[in-house]
Amino acid sequence: MKEKEIIEYMRGELGSNILDACTPRERRVFINIRPEALRRAVEALKRKYSTLRFITISTVDGGLNFEFLHHFHVDGIVVTLRSVKPKEENVLESITDIVPAANFIEREIADLFGVKVMNHPKMRNLILTEDWAEDKRPLRKPLKGILPPQARRVAESLISMGCVAPVSRFIERKREAAGLPKTPPFAFANKEDMKELHGIIKETSLSEKVGFDWENKRLRYR
Amino acid sequence: MVKYALFLGCQIPMRIPSVEIASRRVFERIGLETVDLKGYSCCPEPVISRLLDKTGQLTVSARNLALAEKLGLDIMTLCNGCYETLLEANETLKHESEEMLQTNKILENYGRKYRGLIEVKHVVEVLYEDIGVDKIRECVIKPLKIRVAMHYGCHLYRDLSGNIMRKPEMMKKLTSLTGVEIVDYGLERLCCGYPSMQVDEEFALTHRLLPKIKKMIEAGAEAVVLTCPACTIQFETGQILLRERGVRYDLPCINIMELLALSFGFSSRDLHLELHRGPISRLIKKVEGD
Repeated sequence: MKEKEIIEYMRGELGSNILDACTPRERRVFINIRPEALRRAVEALKRKYSTLRFITISTVDGGLNFEFLHHFHVDGIVVTLRSVKPKEENVLESITDIVPAANFIEREIADLFGVKVMNHPKMRNLILTEDWAEDKRPLRKPLKGILPPQARRVAESLISMGCVAPVSRFIERKREAAGLPKTPPFAFANKEDMKELHGIIKETSLSEKVGFDWENKRLRYR
Repeated sequence: MVKYALFLGCQIPMRIPSVEIASRRVFERIGLETVDLKGYSCCPEPVISRLLDKTGQLTVSARNLALAEKLGLDIMTLCNGCYETLLEANETLKHESEEMLQTNKILENYGRKYRGLIEVKHVVEVLYEDIGVDKIRECVIKPLKIRVAMHYGCHLYRDLSGNIMRKPEMMKKLTSLTGVEIVDYGLERLCCGYPSMQVDEEFALTHRLLPKIKKMIEAGAEAVVLTCPACTIQFETGQILLRERGVRYDLPCINIMELLALSFGFSSRDLHLELHRGPISRLIKKVEGD
């Protein structure tokens, strides 16, 4: 089956940069790739398939991430390279130098979503007027995750501290005055316990689903 | 001697530590030995974690349960929410082998394992069943001459036996031992509105909290007795928020452990009851005089 051959070839070329691949139906292939491997994936397809035809790029603003779907046509089969990038990065690597037909759609994506297309040979507005405001892109959503505003502090505290009611200096003083330890024996009182708890949470999908930024120990949105 | 691993949760030690203080005083007086659960975390908070990632919720709960299991002790919670979360997680892990396997697969990466050997109990159950009303009655040296309304909290109705009134009845009996007069007001089972605050503050305050407080006051209550810290926060801060809507009630809240401690002769000063956000001084005056 040609679909399987394409997937096997791409796995051979990109190795662990292929996160997942499937053929939901005949003549359709989806390949999830690490975003940093996008250009390599396109180059690999072009190298192998002389009949390769670029179709388009779909962009989905998921609130926290951009999903880029690069669609190609290979011998009657539609192959989609799917890559996901955090919206904070706000960049997409241009493939126009590899596939010239991507020129206009990359400019359209830049216009409508405000995404910076890196290394595009001639970037200027395609649909919008040249004086269009940078912060008012027609298809761009605000950076926002799944949680409603009221639940954000609770989730942030739960993941960062392992506790939904962080201790205040006032309560610490009151606890000490009452002969109690400044804080109860929470995981956050001990580095090793906290490391373990964070490790456990990272192994589940909780932090990813709520959009938690592990580096800054806070939600990616307010 | 009765001995439990004490699960303090988040809200009590961080928001209403007077409940922790009172609990420790009461435990010492009645001979209930507790061991603090070192390195514990949030139970975890059920709404966000359960809705978004059941495995995440179960694994964090299992870690807490494993800490107690390692000590060879059953868990006792002071908080209704922690009670339900840990009880449900414990039951799921004990009876659903797939969940237990998946959870332990994660825990084992950190040198932990939960075998399902312990039980989760609410402090009300422990006082009533393990210590007994006779022992508690013996410790009451200062009967409290006040009229109170009971608010049991939704999670206290959860019971593995199916008898939803088992723990509320225990709580009522324990409360009556302190000498207080309990008034019935007809809306005991109505939620205080705390969970709805996240979604609709107006509904939570005016359709849940307000009818309860009105009925309590009409029934002659001078205070409301609770066991759930979330309900306590709702009653105390909710009354402040109701003032902005032109409704003023000053009904003090007191946790059953604080009530027991007062009746055991501990002073409000020793218990740091001033940490309450509600009009607790009115109640203290009534109990201790000027």
